[in-house]
Amino acid sequence: MSPLLLLLITPAVGIVLIMAKAPAKPIAALAAALNFFVSILILAMFDGSRTGYQLMFSQVWADFAGLPTITFALGIDGINAPLMFLATSVTLAAIMVSPGDVKRSSEFFAYLLLMSLGALGAFLSLDLFFFFIFHEFALIPTFLLVGIWGGQNRQFASMQMTLYLMLGSLVLLIGILFLVLLVPWATQWKVAATFNLMDIQAHLARYPVPLGWQSLIFGFLALGFGTLISVFPLHSWAPAGYASAPPGAAMLHAGVLKKFGIYGFIRVVLPLVPEGMEYWQNLFYLMLLGNILVIGYVAVAQRELPLMLGFSSVMHMGYMFLGLAAFNTIGLTGVVFLMVAHGLSAALLFGLAGEITRRCGETRMDELGGLAKQMPFIATAFIIGSLASVGMPGLANFAGEIMIFFGAFGQAGIPKWVTMIAIAGIIIGAIYQLRAVSRVLYGPMPERYAHVKDLDTLVEQAPYLLLIGLLFILGFAPGLIISITEPAVKSLLAGGGL
Amino acid sequence: MISVTSMPWLAPEILLVFIAAILLVLELVYRLSSRSVGYAAIASVVGLMILTAFIPVLGPDGGDRHFFWSNTYLWDGPAKFYKIFFLIATAFVLWMILESEGEGDSHRPEFYVLTLLTSAGMCLLASVQDFMLLFVALELVTISFYILVAYQRASLASLEAGVKYLILGGVSSAFLVMGIAYVFGMTGSTHFSAVPATFKEGGLSNVGLLFGVLFILVGLGFKVSSVPFHFWAPDVYQGAPTPMTAFLSVGSKAAGFVLLLRIFAEGARMPSNLQTFVEITAIASMLLGNLAAIPQRNLKRMLAYSSIGHSGFMLIAVAGLMFQSQMASASSVALGVYLLTYLIATMLAFLVIVVVSHKIPGEQIHTYAGLGQRSPLLAGGLAIGLVSMAGVPPLVGFIGKLSVFVIAWNLAFTTSTGSLGVVVLAAAVFAAVAALYYYLSLLKVMFWSEPLDRTPIPVAPGTKIMILALCFLSLLLGFWAGGLAWATAGLGIK
Repeated sequence: MSPLLLLLITPAVGIVLIMAKAPAKPIAALAAALNFFVSILILAMFDGSRTGYQLMFSQVWADFAGLPTITFALGIDGINAPLMFLATSVTLAAIMVSPGDVKRSSEFFAYLLLMSLGALGAFLSLDLFFFFIFHEFALIPTFLLVGIWGGQNRQFASMQMTLYLMLGSLVLLIGILFLVLLVPWATQWKVAATFNLMDIQAHLARYPVPLGWQSLIFGFLALGFGTLISVFPLHSWAPAGYASAPPGAAMLHAGVLKKFGIYGFIRVVLPLVPEGMEYWQNLFYLMLLGNILVIGYVAVAQRELPLMLGFSSVMHMGYMFLGLAAFNTIGLTGVVFLMVAHGLSAALLFGLAGEITRRCGETRMDELGGLAKQMPFIATAFIIGSLASVGMPGLANFAGEIMIFFGAFGQAGIPKWVTMIAIAGIIIGAIYQLRAVSRVLYGPMPERYAHVKDLDTLVEQAPYLLLIGLLFILGFAPGLIISITEPAVKSLLAGGGL
Repeated sequence: MISVTSMPWLAPEILLVFIAAILLVLELVYRLSSRSVGYAAIASVVGLMILTAFIPVLGPDGGDRHFFWSNTYLWDGPAKFYKIFFLIATAFVLWMILESEGEGDSHRPEFYVLTLLTSAGMCLLASVQDFMLLFVALELVTISFYILVAYQRASLASLEAGVKYLILGGVSSAFLVMGIAYVFGMTGSTHFSAVPATFKEGGLSNVGLLFGVLFILVGLGFKVSSVPFHFWAPDVYQGAPTPMTAFLSVGSKAAGFVLLLRIFAEGARMPSNLQTFVEITAIASMLLGNLAAIPQRNLKRMLAYSSIGHSGFMLIAVAGLMFQSQMASASSVALGVYLLTYLIATMLAFLVIVVVSHKIPGEQIHTYAGLGQRSPLLAGGLAIGLVSMAGVPPLVGFIGKLSVFVIAWNLAFTTSTGSLGVVVLAAAVFAAVAALYYYLSLLKVMFWSEPLDRTPIPVAPGTKIMILALCFLSLLLGFWAGGLAWATAGLGIK
């Protein structure tokens, strides 16, 4: 049995136990911790020198007469291994951060575990059916988490999120169907249709998809994944949704689940329909600059802390898009790295913002202030998270962003000015992020916050320490990820991926 | 082991008629209560389901198509699948009738007996190979339905529904008989296989035959309530007793589709005009059904329009039947998968509606406000049923939608139909999105609106188990699509 199955079974067992009236938070934390250790074990078992999928599990799932075959196939390579680790570590943090006495607590923690299960399944699946369905499986608890436990405007935020993401998924599904059904057509019915990604890859390598089809399929897939990533101008679900979501859900979605779209680009879009990118590249640049510049300025204008963080997390997707457009080894490696780094830093910031707003009962930054003296731990952690998000060297995000910029400059196809504007965008990030720090943590403190408490015990601090520790470790030793990701990206670019 | 040769004598339709007759006599002689007749009916239907499951399709000679009674009756993979399908649907409907007992006037035992007879007609339809037998079986179903729909004599809505169903049912039968007459005139035979055989020969008779088949399609269009033959559906669904609405929307619809499957078994040899006709009705049904469902204020009426939309999706698979073997086989499987997922979702939704109507009569959508607080089980069950109908993964309805989308994609891009196929695909996508809208807005009402009245709604233990089982099945089969593949394995066309 592949140890990857264990990653899916542990949260499932946790959910069953919680639904059977076991104490919710301890069980959820236990399942998340177990998964965290399993993922470390899997990384230890992972042989970074080999390309191709490892620790595979494959099982024919449904073999319909005449309809595409579905297989249940799991596997990791240098691209999804870091994401798997991201998912388990952020899950652990998100569950520990969430207060155990929340209303309807058993449902709440079951949904968090369900999100984690879906995200892990989507990252590990090598079959497009499960790739898609696991992601959907994670979305449904997200809607419920926002709709039931959300803050201000939760009904609107949840409904908007539902409609946007469902529509995005549907468009994505059409793109996937195109890919799946094109295989028999391209091979003149010598091969039956299948959802298995490796089979599709192998067949399309031998029978390349014509250019017109590639750009059409790319269009569907990019629109679908783009909505899920909150690419400009399809982003409006994200800031409102994150601002309203309970911190644990925002951490899991912004930190982990949203990376599904970027991962889909690397795993599905770029290897299978690479020519489509050339057809759509100008629009692509426009959208990524929109993410960086427009959303960046919108983030500067925000007066509420959670909304600002929501826009900030949308803005950072622009850099990942730039790395995808670079489509070379260093650029794509940078994207994978930045996904992990941004996942950790976004989770950290959303978690801390939740602590601050819950303790002070206030989300407007103008009304907050001077909290550094009152809550030194939260303040320090928030500053570290902000610096990571800004891209300060020594913290993980820097390594990812710099690789993406090198990759973008190294790609002759990308106009130099696009990359330059994108780099300049970092300043915008610094403006809103540091301004938030100064407004919330420094300056005069309103009297009413005089007895607001900090995170005192190690148990409360542990989830943040975990995320901060990982940000530092990856910042100083980016090779931990790069050494396994780079060979995988190379083989993907060489048309292998197998 | 039961052998194939004993099949026709063990067929569920024959035994059902016997059981119905016996129950009728017993009830008359011993004055049985309607409840005990109901339990006996459920037990016998479940027994027949198990019996049918054990009758093999593969004969001793290796053949898997067995004709009986001068070739008018066929026992093969699809026959077995659809007979079991109808029996499952009947069992659920009988349970719903039992559940709805006691509100106002108690049902008479005949209500159960008539349901059994309807079921017998449906099971027979799964096997017919001859237009005369088709007519007899279909009338058995339809005439029983005339009575069942109008059963609540005290209710004006039910009477109105009954009259509408009677008149439009009569019209549809007239079309059907007219079509059969044309077919007989042109082919000299009433057997299904005569139609493709005569088309093959070509000549002037093709025109007459085409008319005949078109008339039959119109007649069946009423049964599956496809646009533009759908006018009866909203009124009848709304007015009929809820168990009968469920039976109409699953059983009667599936009966129409199994006939389409049989008639187009060699659809590749029929003229492409028929396929165009089916595709156009599919587009119209998907669009009208799903768009007209949006403004509805009555839940049963909304489900009626949504069921028209579902017919549109299934007609895509019917259009796919008219191609060469591989595509036809895939279409037959897709139709079976869609019907099965639709069965699970619809039964779940209607079971909840029956229970809820004890406390909230009238099925107005706004009265469902806050159902999530009054009864999480009922609201959750209805939500799973509706979301599954909307085709949202990971619920089972997604697999159904996925399989018809595969067929639609093939119609659009790999077959000779060309641009009309693209329109079918585009309409299917649009309709799926529109469907999402009205199903989700009902969810919003149930979970996010404050209830008018906070008293919890009691659920009987048996019904509770059944709702939970259906919810579980919706989730399980959504993930484990292999189960659906196993169930529909016999539907492929060689």
